[in-house]
Amino acid sequence: MSPELRRRETIAGYLFLLPSLIFFIGFVVVPMVMCVVTSFFDANMDLNTPDKFIWFNNYIELWKDPVFLKALKNTFIIVVVSVPFTCIFSLWVASAIYKMREGLLSFFRIVFYLPVVTGSVAVTVVWKWMYNNYYGIFNYVLKNTGIISKNINWLGNPQYALWCIILILLTTSVGQPIVLYVSALSNVDNSLVEASEVDGANNLQVFWRIKWPQIMPTTLYILIITTINSFQCFALIQLLTSGGPNYATETVMYYIYYSAFKLYRFGYGNAMGVILAIFIGILSAIQFRLAREK
Amino acid sequence: MKKVLSIALALLLVLGLTAVAKPASADAEEITLWTYPIGNWGNEETVKALTDAFTAETGIKVKVEYLTYADGDDKVNTALTAKKGPDLLMEGPERLVSNWGANGYMVNIADLFDDQDKAEINAAALAACFADDATAYEYPLCMTAHCMAVNLNALKEAGAEQYVNAETHTWTTEQFFAAVNALAAKYGLVGGIYCSGQGGDQGTRALVNNLYGGTFTNAEHTAYTWDDPKNIQALKALYDLEGIEYDPSINGGEEIANFYNGIFKMAFCWNIAQQLNPNSAGTGAGKTANGDDILFMAFPSEDGNANLQGGIWGFGIVNNGDDAKIAAAKKFIQYMADSEHTYDAVRASNFFAARTAVAGNALDVWSDNEIMAEYTKLMPFLGDYYQVTKGWAPARTAWWNMLQQVGASDGSEAAIGSAVSTYCGQANDGAK
Repeated sequence: MSPELRRRETIAGYLFLLPSLIFFIGFVVVPMVMCVVTSFFDANMDLNTPDKFIWFNNYIELWKDPVFLKALKNTFIIVVVSVPFTCIFSLWVASAIYKMREGLLSFFRIVFYLPVVTGSVAVTVVWKWMYNNYYGIFNYVLKNTGIISKNINWLGNPQYALWCIILILLTTSVGQPIVLYVSALSNVDNSLVEASEVDGANNLQVFWRIKWPQIMPTTLYILIITTINSFQCFALIQLLTSGGPNYATETVMYYIYYSAFKLYRFGYGNAMGVILAIFIGILSAIQFRLAREK
Repeated sequence: MKKVLSIALALLLVLGLTAVAKPASADAEEITLWTYPIGNWGNEETVKALTDAFTAETGIKVKVEYLTYADGDDKVNTALTAKKGPDLLMEGPERLVSNWGANGYMVNIADLFDDQDKAEINAAALAACFADDATAYEYPLCMTAHCMAVNLNALKEAGAEQYVNAETHTWTTEQFFAAVNALAAKYGLVGGIYCSGQGGDQGTRALVNNLYGGTFTNAEHTAYTWDDPKNIQALKALYDLEGIEYDPSINGGEEIANFYNGIFKMAFCWNIAQQLNPNSAGTGAGKTANGDDILFMAFPSEDGNANLQGGIWGFGIVNNGDDAKIAAAKKFIQYMADSEHTYDAVRASNFFAARTAVAGNALDVWSDNEIMAEYTKLMPFLGDYYQVTKGWAPARTAWWNMLQQVGASDGSEAAIGSAVSTYCGQANDGAK
């Protein structure tokens, strides 16, 4: 290919890329840069006072803010509980169903995927009803079976509220990993499985030595996506508890929203966003490294 | 040929992306109004009739968007900061004046108030719409006094009817506690201090402030004073009261739903719009879902004379830099709030007119409605409109966070005092 032709093809390629590039730059790159820049300013809603450059003050204040620290702790609890559980549970379910006949397999895939495709508002409304302090089904069942004697205010009690949120998060998180694992397990080279069985490997050994390494890329993808989703848990908090009671369900994502849109502290909120992105980046990098070593 | 085709296709796609950009209108043929659900100003059918009449008279079309109290503020804040706000906003002075006006997003509409308007508009409403003597960010349309409600049938069945004065709709703190005790003995659960969010927070503020005569802000509206010992006393009394629970899992709207459905026997988030159409369910004025009578009541106070929280609503103009649209928006305000059409605009709100007359002609909106006439008994109890205090938005969030902490505390005076002090301090930080 002549240099002139290559140049023309390159230009044409970039021109075809341009529409997506505009979206990517406009809605991803520019907001990211703005977020970092704004985090160094005392930015707020007041048009009458120009935003003041305050160096790292927002970042320093974060580590002295008990609500942010509480939000960070809650966020890590959500990640630490939901990521392993989602991976293990979805792998278990996928292992149990991937060899089933097509109709039954599709049924289970639909059952587990339904909460993913159902709108989060609709899911939340149903869960809110189930958790309701006065007429919720959980209290009804537990009281009628004699397990509790008095209604529990599931979402209003700091002792239970975060776990209630995690439970909903789990039900909406497992659908996609199950579908992915079913697909990954179906693609495992069967000749290797049969050969190992002929060599006398038991089920655990077959799984650990043959299947697990082959589904590792899927596992890595699931780990990273679940981690990011868990870190970014917002809609459930916003719709169910607004971070309460007494900050028991405050997460970093919700606190970013609260600081920016309730307290109008845009700079402070952006600083939190930068910190959250750094945490997600570090955890994703660790997961990549561990999976690669494996 | 391939190159030309590639470039043309790419340009077409790029142009397609940018085609959404529209130049600012040179003439104001259309204006946009964003309204919160202020009575039937949240009802599309009602509002359309009003705006169609305005369009027929002026030729200016009005595009209306309906906000909710749950996420309306977020939507408006995002739009304003992105300079994509509407031309008109309908809400109260706590948002239009103290928040968006004070932060420089609204147009000064002081020129819409002539001397006659100033004489005809309720003094408290007028004062709340002005940021200073020469700057107004809101033109008031309607107002009311927020109150609470009691399930009258439940009260009778509990033998507690004698504690309320159904004629004057007032009671003392002592009578309120006696009524709650009687209802708690009969039903267990009486009501909830809802605090999951700021929706309906005027009810919990008024309840706490009135019980022992506490205050929320100082008279000058420069500082938050809810760390008043009288408020701490009230918060503790409510904590200790059987039948009343601090409930961080519900907000004002959910409290109303619980009251309407008979779960609660009292509601602290009530007003005339609710009395006319409880829970917005359309099942009959002054009735719960199962047909029990609802008695609206002033909040209890030691001497029976409550200071009720006022609600004032009207229109403000967003400064979008388009003079033609600002002029059209002013026409809209004058049409709705300062003309013979004000009668219809006020009736649509289900609240009371913010003015007694229009251009010298008496404005009698509700004389044909018994419930409204009865509700006017509460209007003399209208208290200080303190929502114009600086830092109002963060102060509201501090208030419900404080209620959550009080509810989660051990109920000791020290614990409640500490929560009150912390969050009142936060509110005052925002007022600086």
